[in-house]
Amino acid sequence: MNSGVFHTTYKSDLALRPVPIMRWRLIFVLLLALLLPFMVSNYYLTLANQIGIMAIGAIGLNILTGYTGQISLGQGGFMAIGAYTSGILAAWYGVPWYLTIPIACVATALFGGIFGIPSLRLKGLYLAIATLAAQQIIEWVIIRSSARGAEAIPLPGIKFFGTSISKLKFDFITGRLGGREFWYYWIVLFFLILVVLFTVNLFRSKTGRAFIAIRDQDIAAEVMGVNVFQYKILSFATSSFIVGLAGALQAQYRGIVSFESFTIDVSILYLAAIIIGGLGSVSGAIYGAIFMTLLPALLRSVGSSLGGVIPGIDQYIAFMQQGVFGLVVILFLVFEPEGIAKMWRNAKDYFRLWPFSY
Amino acid sequence: MFKTRSFVTLSCLLITALMLAACPAPAADSGNGEGMEEGPIQIGAIFDLTGPTSDVGQLYSGGIKGYVDFVNATGGIDGRMVELLSADYAYAVDQAEQLYSQYVNENEVLVFSGWGTGDTEALRGRIGDDEIPFVSASYSAALQDPAEAPYNFLIGTTYSDQFILAIDRAAAEGASVVALFHNDSPFGTSPLEDGRDHAGELGIDVINFPMPRGATDYTAELSQAAEQGATHVVVQNVSSPAATLAKNVDNLGLDMTIMCLNWCTNELLLELSGEAGDGIIGVNPFTFPSSGVAGLDEIAGHLESEGTMTLDEAGGLYIAGWTTMKVLLQGVRDVSAAGDELTGANVRAALENLSGYDTGGITDPITFTGEDHAGNKTVQFFEASGGVWSPVSERVGVEN
Repeated sequence: MNSGVFHTTYKSDLALRPVPIMRWRLIFVLLLALLLPFMVSNYYLTLANQIGIMAIGAIGLNILTGYTGQISLGQGGFMAIGAYTSGILAAWYGVPWYLTIPIACVATALFGGIFGIPSLRLKGLYLAIATLAAQQIIEWVIIRSSARGAEAIPLPGIKFFGTSISKLKFDFITGRLGGREFWYYWIVLFFLILVVLFTVNLFRSKTGRAFIAIRDQDIAAEVMGVNVFQYKILSFATSSFIVGLAGALQAQYRGIVSFESFTIDVSILYLAAIIIGGLGSVSGAIYGAIFMTLLPALLRSVGSSLGGVIPGIDQYIAFMQQGVFGLVVILFLVFEPEGIAKMWRNAKDYFRLWPFSY
Repeated sequence: MFKTRSFVTLSCLLITALMLAACPAPAADSGNGEGMEEGPIQIGAIFDLTGPTSDVGQLYSGGIKGYVDFVNATGGIDGRMVELLSADYAYAVDQAEQLYSQYVNENEVLVFSGWGTGDTEALRGRIGDDEIPFVSASYSAALQDPAEAPYNFLIGTTYSDQFILAIDRAAAEGASVVALFHNDSPFGTSPLEDGRDHAGELGIDVINFPMPRGATDYTAELSQAAEQGATHVVVQNVSSPAATLAKNVDNLGLDMTIMCLNWCTNELLLELSGEAGDGIIGVNPFTFPSSGVAGLDEIAGHLESEGTMTLDEAGGLYIAGWTTMKVLLQGVRDVSAAGDELTGANVRAALENLSGYDTGGITDPITFTGEDHAGNKTVQFFEASGGVWSPVSERVGVEN
């Protein structure tokens, strides 16, 4: 029996999954993700798609806030840039959807870099206000962009080889599959895996280490030779690239781009998601996205079951849901401020070390 | 305490529960998919009961639920009860999508009632794919064209038409400059372009002022409007900012007539503005209890049998919700009466054939066609005095 896991090469030491059980867990999760659309109904696929898009956005924000320590309230605005770029290209210029997405990412990265310039002089709360300005500027531009007040722009949906995905259905062992949610799931999953691989490898590289150094102690990083300003801008640009991807995917998913989905509330929701999930880890961003998407659904389902049991509580359920949502977020921050990722690590350690406690 | 076995286990269980969470509990007790022949007719609705527009959302939702209860109390549709699956989504568009997906996929609803611009726009593509006729309280002109929005039906007069009719009234009173004070969002600017075009034909200037969110004073904008010669101020916003505006006009002593479009033409505005509300002209696509039209009798009767509130307490928004659901379900009735299968596509066809449907005077007769999904093109003007809205005109419509 092994007394531990020992590495004999640098390569195996730096591996993403150094321990066999971690590899098995990863394979299990991947299998689950691949089999999901064949097992569940469209409602769960809607949830899965929303989680996927939010996870991509959260990973983007995590690069900026969790790994580089730059607080950003401009998430909604950057997603709007991605969404509107993709939407306008598809709707007004007839660009095919798979081309609009990379272009939207690049455009958002550009604007992200520009809005990151204040980070040269500002840190912490002051930078948060500067990014809030970015959010407001972007909102303002959207509203004023046409006399009709930037009406929603409907997109020509996604087509696979000429057929709209909502009409592409086929019969399978588990029933009639296909349709918008089903095909879109694969698109989101593909991009999510790409983004996860990219981000995880980013933080094994020199650039990633520079980001982390800036977060931990930027003066020491500067002294060591990290060009802090350059890497901050790079962090804004990289983060915005991924956030723009999330925005473009959301626009294509909904089939319409409208102003309401990109307000300051979205920025705050994403910040809450990565804080609850765990700052500074990719899996934390994913857990946060899952939590924020599923919690309202759980509260609704608990609320309607309660409504059946306790008569007269109907009027209050909606208000209770709001209250409980806030309470859960606060409880999380009080009892486990490092988020769900830390809770998961604690759980794993507990079972690994039992009956010892450390 | 946090390191004990039970706490860790509990946390793991919580996480697992969340992962399995979104079991869509059916919003009512009867199961789903018993087959359209025997079971109740299921319709879906989302309301804003706790979010930013909840002050009007709650009243509107009362009207929708009230009509469904009324239908069930009077024998249902050809003997089948109507089951309303509804939930609060607090104006969060993501939750609107989740609820829509749940009701359509897990419950098989036939038609859907939305609420605001955000969710109406977000669901526009989906309702086309799923073939679900959709009504909402977003009266944007973009929704009336079936080529753009094939399954959306408008029962309230569009914001553009409302503004045009307000401009006509201002023109009749001799105005040469009309100021539009609007919410700082696409909802607010929705009527601007069409209104401007129409006013141009009449030789009237339209100037517009956005009302920024959270502003507590519009004195500066009002002074500018007065300097530019505006005699009439049209407000495209909800009640709270409109009430602030009315108070500002009163304080400044400006000689301006305030005309509110439908989202500030309600009892809430009068409560909030008090004496400053006297003299405000309200543009109402539906009607108020004070008009006394025949169509209000069934609403009053239902409220009396429920015993929860009087027609006056229910107010204009309840009437709006009631009438909206009434017209939507008329499409369902027509399909059922013709003996056809109850599908979304059939209901849509039936609605497009609806011509001159009488709502008892609450609106002009509703007509939809295959080229135009705006069923109601008329409004009635009311004037506020002493905390009550009283009619000051017959129903007027846009000349096409």
